[in-house]
Amino acid sequence: MFTSGRLRAVAGLAVAALVAVVAVSSGSSATNQSPTIRIWVDNVQKPAIEQITSAWASSKNATVDVVVKDFGKIRDDLKTVQVENAPDVIVGPHDWVGELAANGLVLPLFPRAAVRALFPTYALDAFSYGTAVKRLYGTPFALENIGLVVNTKLARVPTSFADFERQALAFKKKAKGNIALAVPQGAGGDAYHMYPFFSGLGGYVFGRNKAGNYDVSDIGLANPVFLKNAPMIDQWNKAGLINSKIDYGTGKDAFLKGKAAFWLTGPWETKTLKESGLKFTIVQMPKIKFNAVPFLGVQGYMVTKYATDHGVESLAKDLVGSYIPSTDVQRTLAGANGRYPANVQAGKQVRDPVLLQFGKAGVGGVPMPNIPQMASVWSELGGAWVKATRGSGAIPARVAFRTAARNIANKIG
Amino acid sequence: MAPGAPATPLPLGLLPRLLAAFSGTTGLVIKLVFLSLANAMAVWAATVLVRDSRWIALSVLVAATLAIDSVYLSRRAVPLKFLVPGSVFLIAFSVVPVAYNVNVAFTNWSTGHLLAKEEAIEGIERSYLAPPADGRSYLMAPARDGRGQLVLILVDEADGSTFVGSRVGLEPLRRDAVEIDENGAIVGTEGYQLLEADELASLDTDLSAYTVPTKDGAAIRPEGFETAVELRPTLRYEADTDTFVRIEDGTVFRDNGKGSFVAASGEELEPGWKTRVGVENFTRLLKDPLVRKPFFRVFVWTFVFAGATVVASFALGLFLAIALNLPGLRFQRTYRSLLIVPYAVPAFLSLLVWRGLLNDEFGLVNRLLPFDVPWLFDPAWARVSVILVSLWLTFPYFFLVSLGALQSIPSELVEAARVDGAGPWQVFRRITFPLLLVAVAPLLIASFAFNFNNFNNIYLLTAGGPQASDQIVAGSTDILISYTWKLAFEAGKGQDYGLASAVSIVIFLIIASISALSFWRSRSLEEMR
Amino acid sequence: MRTTWWRHLVAGVAIAFSLFPVVYIVSTAFNADQSLSASSLVPRDVTLANFRELLSGHTTSAGGRTLEIPYVRWFANSLLVATAAALLTVALGALAAYAFSRFRFRGRRMGMMTLLLIQMFPVFLAIVAIYLILLQTGDIFPFLGLNTLTGLIVVYLGGAMGVNVWLMKGFFDTIPAELDESARVDGATPAQIFWGVVLPLAAPVLAVVGLISFITTLNEFLIAGTLLQTMERQTLPVGMQFFVSQQYAEEWGTFAAGVLLAAIPVVVLFMALQRFIVQGLTRGAVKG
Repeated sequence: MFTSGRLRAVAGLAVAALVAVVAVSSGSSATNQSPTIRIWVDNVQKPAIEQITSAWASSKNATVDVVVKDFGKIRDDLKTVQVENAPDVIVGPHDWVGELAANGLVLPLFPRAAVRALFPTYALDAFSYGTAVKRLYGTPFALENIGLVVNTKLARVPTSFADFERQALAFKKKAKGNIALAVPQGAGGDAYHMYPFFSGLGGYVFGRNKAGNYDVSDIGLANPVFLKNAPMIDQWNKAGLINSKIDYGTGKDAFLKGKAAFWLTGPWETKTLKESGLKFTIVQMPKIKFNAVPFLGVQGYMVTKYATDHGVESLAKDLVGSYIPSTDVQRTLAGANGRYPANVQAGKQVRDPVLLQFGKAGVGGVPMPNIPQMASVWSELGGAWVKATRGSGAIPARVAFRTAARNIANKIG
Repeated sequence: MAPGAPATPLPLGLLPRLLAAFSGTTGLVIKLVFLSLANAMAVWAATVLVRDSRWIALSVLVAATLAIDSVYLSRRAVPLKFLVPGSVFLIAFSVVPVAYNVNVAFTNWSTGHLLAKEEAIEGIERSYLAPPADGRSYLMAPARDGRGQLVLILVDEADGSTFVGSRVGLEPLRRDAVEIDENGAIVGTEGYQLLEADELASLDTDLSAYTVPTKDGAAIRPEGFETAVELRPTLRYEADTDTFVRIEDGTVFRDNGKGSFVAASGEELEPGWKTRVGVENFTRLLKDPLVRKPFFRVFVWTFVFAGATVVASFALGLFLAIALNLPGLRFQRTYRSLLIVPYAVPAFLSLLVWRGLLNDEFGLVNRLLPFDVPWLFDPAWARVSVILVSLWLTFPYFFLVSLGALQSIPSELVEAARVDGAGPWQVFRRITFPLLLVAVAPLLIASFAFNFNNFNNIYLLTAGGPQASDQIVAGSTDILISYTWKLAFEAGKGQDYGLASAVSIVIFLIIASISALSFWRSRSLEEMR
Repeated sequence: MRTTWWRHLVAGVAIAFSLFPVVYIVSTAFNADQSLSASSLVPRDVTLANFRELLSGHTTSAGGRTLEIPYVRWFANSLLVATAAALLTVALGALAAYAFSRFRFRGRRMGMMTLLLIQMFPVFLAIVAIYLILLQTGDIFPFLGLNTLTGLIVVYLGGAMGVNVWLMKGFFDTIPAELDESARVDGATPAQIFWGVVLPLAAPVLAVVGLISFITTLNEFLIAGTLLQTMERQTLPVGMQFFVSQQYAEEWGTFAAGVLLAAIPVVVLFMALQRFIVQGLTRGAVKG
């Protein structure tokens, strides 16, 4: 029965409910008078950034809104965020720079020469990107690279690569279950950890053009020098020096339990190493045909384009371009991550012996290319290593890396 | 008005009695309350939409509200009354996203093409500023001159000469008029009032846009509050022709219709912008050799993987449900609860654990077996592993469903067959299984579709690898979705959402056709009496 | 079939197959090593530290600072969302299944096909759309916006009508329509027939759908991860990602401990619902 009584009841109840809803959800939000700068960081950086911005913010009469996000989501969300919720400053590793800059999401910075001089050139380079004109897009604060961790009770610090090879293989033969070198690959491969071997044989990822920018048509996986040295990989595979079935956990486990005398890993394991009770030294992998330098990872802060939209561009640039480069701030920020600070002066103040050793192990290292085309590289390069160091079913290294280079070229298009 | 409870005897139990009690007048009241609440929310939403002048959304809202009201206030349209609540959510969160994705598939949304065109133009102008050959950089402090105008006090970083910069240009300032402290910061000026630190933030917008023209189109711009740098644009935007011109050599960059400014040489300006590109993503799929060459192999494997997973999981689940279906079986409840546990653990973790367990040198599986199987490294064995792990993940679901479905088979049919002398296998084949299949067929189809698109299982276990013998990009365990994901996110410049959307639509059409086809052929549609 | 020994054997083998990786996960949870590649089932270093860390709500970062980890909050959020989503999914799905089962109307077959097909669209691409939708609804109704648990529940309800409806419809089909008839003759409204007559008889399938929905929602992390922004609102799988999001520094031990605790309500729920799932009803009495 569709009576008018029912209709009236509905209408009356609707009005009543409406009033209730209005009453509940009304409530003015006080507008904040002082300008607010929003920073996206991960959980690890949060206490550090809060600490260093408290004094800075009050001197500028500004408010800092620190938002914690999962590390990877900082980049992903930046691409879909709406202006109202967007950050003005973000933390990020240098290999995001190419993608963010190509998307127009970060602002170029032009610090004074005095500020630039506070950092090693490669750190600034890592945060620079450009196809025609190269720009700096962030201020670095932390450096990291892997090093060769030697268990000095089980082995000596190698004096040359041949010495290293000899010791590692001898150790492997000593007992069943021993591993020559704990370097992680696993089914998915790990181009990052294998890079010292790659660079030591003359490999590189992308060459550079005359302007000094990456040239994506010059893929170094199949460069003639490397291919000439590649048969060494087959020898290592046959001898069992490198085994791609070892994944990260297995390798770490083996080293900590004394089943491996050598471990290729980075400063994130500092705490574990110290607590393991083992005696160890960290060095760079000895020179093979060339210096076996590792990939360098640089972390930094960047200013997003939303800072302009929010009207806090100069404020954000002041924070990132003038305040964050200073020595004390760098020490605090890098310390929160347990990493080497990018600022050279702050770096000289590092006392932690493990960190210092990792730092030395990174000399001459190469920052990972930060261009978006790197997306096509990782799995191919890692995959080539996996196939070439597979053990009994391995493919000759020349074939593996040539195929990888070809696939990368096809993917980049 | 209807009586409080029907006169038919109902199964005993508190719950049904409660439910019965709430029907009738109470039920009517509940219905009115919900309807009023819905209307109130609609009215509230309408006011917000009107305030924001969102007319399309408003008309959709009004139409929907009126429709829902008429359904519930009229006597007829009974089926709709049952269907409307779920459909509202279905349309909002399942249908609309699909429509959205269809839209995205026709755009070029990818790395370098995220912003709107105006933002891209601003971005290009910003990132193509360069210091001129003899450009200077300065220590800076914002100040106000005698008339209260904003000016910049500048100290050349290289030679220490001092200037005051205004929107008109640079003027030298006496060196002794500027006081610099030991840290190199400007702390005082004669004739100008330095801005206090806490005033700076409120002048941000003016300061960021401030320029002090120098020569040849270059200008000194503030960088934060303490630095200023001389920059010159290297590109000039011509609004009337919608092109960029490189000042140095006159190269013209035109809008190429695909979201970038491109020169004749192919040089592209970054950033680009997001725009509609028609069927470009779809034709790329059809023409790209990276897609065409392995397509058949990948498609067949996807089919095999999904099919084998579903069939094996259903068989195992059903077998276990039947085996444990005996009333009074000891430990029955414990057995069943333990078999559910794999379903309770998040698949993401289980997959990574399996990946470790199947490592052919260090994994537990090979250590426990007397022989070594190259589970994840050999192409053929990797395919077996992927199906095995998917079986592990999926059979509890079919076990659960079979448990429930077995209850719906009328026991008198089974009894009658027994009385007629049929053995247990015949009972199963002739009665139980066909009836079960009718109930479960849509689940089988849904599970097939789910596994056809099961990105997680493949990616986390093998990342699509190991590489197949034809050595091309698609691995031996890559299914359509994992391979195309690689093409969208691990090729080109990465992060190609437009391509990914186009791919998912194509895959969706494939699955939908297969499902619809198997539906028309299966008896279950005929069973819809 | 009255011989039962083979059933115990089958159960034993199946359980061994099912629980083998789970035992491994349990072992990881009690292992201080934080690695997924422990070389043996029994951890070298049995410890409760992972559980303690989670329940204490704090953890130490690489730089030595203490970070807040509101694990209990995550757990509570997850339970809340999963329970609400499961109950509402069962209700909405049952309503629709009843309509498809009992009524003949235009577009019925089309409707059921559509339900099945809609769910075949890959979720991870729908996420951006869902994010944008909630952004808009949050403007209008603050409790339905991003970073709200109610908003998340509402999104999950978008998937309530899918293959579940098929399952429930199939079961409803076996409940004789004569019951409906006799109730209607007695003057009951369709709503009363639904809630009071048919639904109680459908307990097994409702329990199954409820359990499946509960488990799926509890473990869902793609949508939850996109919509929930702040730590106090996050659900368990999203929050636990924190422990494994730093490459090479994953804390699998803590992660395993966290998800294991979350598996307990599922098993408990299943044990409680078993009765409903397998209750043998004698409906044959009314069937003609």
